Amino acid sequence: MHILLIEDDVSVADFIVRGLRENQIEVDHVADGLAALAASRKGKFDALIVDRMLPGMDGLSVIRTLRELGDKTPALILSALGEVDDRVQGLRAGGDDYLVKPFDFTELLARIEAVLRRQQAGAHQTRLKVADLEMDLLAHRVTRAGEELTLQPREYKLLEYLMRHAGQVVTRTMLLENVWDYHFDPQTNVIDVHISRLRQKIDRGFGAPLLTTVRGSGYMLLDQPTAAE
Amino acid sequence: MPIKQKSWLEKLRAVFASFAFRFMLRYVVGLSAAVLLVMVSLYATYSYQYFVDHERIIDDQLRDLSLRIERGENLEQVRLLPPPPVRGENYFLLLDAGGNKIAGNLDVWPKNLYQNWWDLKSSTFFTGEELPALTWMFGKSEMLADGRKLLVVRDYGDILMIERYISHVAVRSALLTILLGALGGIFMAMRSIRNVDHINQSIARIISGNLSERIPAAELRGDFKVLAMHFNQLLDRVQGLMEGMRQVTDNIAHDLRTPLTRMRNQIADLMQAAPAPVCDQVPVLLNEADALLSTFNALLRIAQIESGQRRSGFRQTDLQVILADLIELYEPLAMEKRQSMVAQINEPLLVAGDRDLLFQAFANLIDNAIKYTPPEGSIRLSAHREPDGSARVELCDSGEGIPEEDRCKVFRRFYRVEASRSAQPGNGLGLSLVAAVVRLHHAEIMLADGAPGLLVTVRLPTCRG
Repeated sequence: MHILLIEDDVSVADFIVRGLRENQIEVDHVADGLAALAASRKGKFDALIVDRMLPGMDGLSVIRTLRELGDKTPALILSALGEVDDRVQGLRAGGDDYLVKPFDFTELLARIEAVLRRQQAGAHQTRLKVADLEMDLLAHRVTRAGEELTLQPREYKLLEYLMRHAGQVVTRTMLLENVWDYHFDPQTNVIDVHISRLRQKIDRGFGAPLLTTVRGSGYMLLDQPTAAE
Repeated sequence: MPIKQKSWLEKLRAVFASFAFRFMLRYVVGLSAAVLLVMVSLYATYSYQYFVDHERIIDDQLRDLSLRIERGENLEQVRLLPPPPVRGENYFLLLDAGGNKIAGNLDVWPKNLYQNWWDLKSSTFFTGEELPALTWMFGKSEMLADGRKLLVVRDYGDILMIERYISHVAVRSALLTILLGALGGIFMAMRSIRNVDHINQSIARIISGNLSERIPAAELRGDFKVLAMHFNQLLDRVQGLMEGMRQVTDNIAHDLRTPLTRMRNQIADLMQAAPAPVCDQVPVLLNEADALLSTFNALLRIAQIESGQRRSGFRQTDLQVILADLIELYEPLAMEKRQSMVAQINEPLLVAGDRDLLFQAFANLIDNAIKYTPPEGSIRLSAHREPDGSARVELCDSGEGIPEEDRCKVFRRFYRVEASRSAQPGNGLGLSLVAAVVRLHHAEIMLADGAPGLLVTVRLPTCRG
């Protein structure tokens, strides 16, 4: 994976770059909008991480320009601001996801992977399959090892999202935004309870567990059932 | 605060209460009183002078006549004519010692004989319209030698009629002046009020919503124009300050959160890399760092909300949907504690607001309800439309409640009720955020005893569907 990071704050950039490299992700770093446009034209990047507040040309303008030039590289917007309007603005400018600083590095990582996966995934999938877990999107049925599971509507939505991002870390905020459609900070572990209920239904009595908790980050539905996290 | 439309009665009362009207009325009344005073004194002076002139004429005529009588002249042809421009004859009467008429063009000694001006005026002023002839006689008499009495009088009735007419005219003029002045005052007051109202409404609109709006000063004149321009300058200043504050907030966000995040992530890295014994303590550190960041975030959010900027993101939002989603989100948590959670929201309740903020606020409230209610407790959420059109949301739990003395304080940042301080985790900002969201949405929140537990009531204005 090759990522272009557009961030003017040296310390934040340094910490992102270091973190990405430690995860075997190649990353180039520029500090302003014009350099970003030049770089993205030259190189071929899988994803962009764009900070909103840049000197000269701001982050949203960079994305807008790229989109106008036909560049469809998925872009993750970073910002210190977090108002609803800002998120809507960011997404409307052509961004694919919006992350408010400060964030967990794992949150950043999870979202980059999610944004890439969205790009690759076909729009007209009728079935999802992760290990021996299968979801028929048309018939609204979920089976594991051939046995049908009864899920509440919300549990179904939750599982669908996890399956679409199987093998990736999914954070609590991502779940709240995508499965519950609200952007908010839970005070308690309210999501955890939903996950453990789901886990009861899909993992109990089926051998190796698929739905795991990633300490300090979120959850992950394993591609292949393994014992280790 | 929404601006009420005034009824006709209220508008009229406003006119009469206005400075412009009262000023005009006082001025007109004062002017009329002065004019009236001038007129009265002119009138009195004229009247008195006229009287005095007549008095002199009568004195002359009396003296003349008595001389003639001394000389023994025949009084048959005597006519007492006052000098021009005075018109009308005077009367005389000569009586013998027994009271019989000897000569004269008057037949009877008049019943009312007035000798001075004041008596004459004061008696006639308040009588009716008619002033019959030969009733109001003013004159002088003289006792002659051998007991005869001579009288010279003037019938003052005509003059009194004229004077009365003049005084009526004067009074009516004064009243008309006052009436015209009052009408003029009302008219001017209404114009003045319209200007002030215009300004007041602009101000109310600006204060309750959009601080970037300005009072349109072009349509105003004079003092009002200056007032409006000054107010606009004040708003420029306020907006500048708020913008400055926002930038400070954002800069803090940018400057402080980054090192905090770095620290937190370094702890996370440590957790990955550290050997087992150390590893046990690191998660605690990580949680502390996360709690710190979360508190920091919450503080910044509250500040943002309180500065009112998020109103621009307001849309029509259905409370029924939000509350239903919340119940569904929190139900498993309640079930874990074997608490019963019941919701009663029967109809859509549309409010103008920020969906995420409303969700966050009610989430904090439900979160608290679950947290502070013991296992097996009950939580009840209801929402309905009030008769006055507003939406009323009630959340009642059977937990420890909040003591009365703390109820107004819990909305303060970092405030935690003594009893819960050690028992439950929390940073004391949950309710501060709720309060900020409530205020932003022009709503109100009230805490009461749930008997047992806590009853939280939130009332929001609804918008027409």
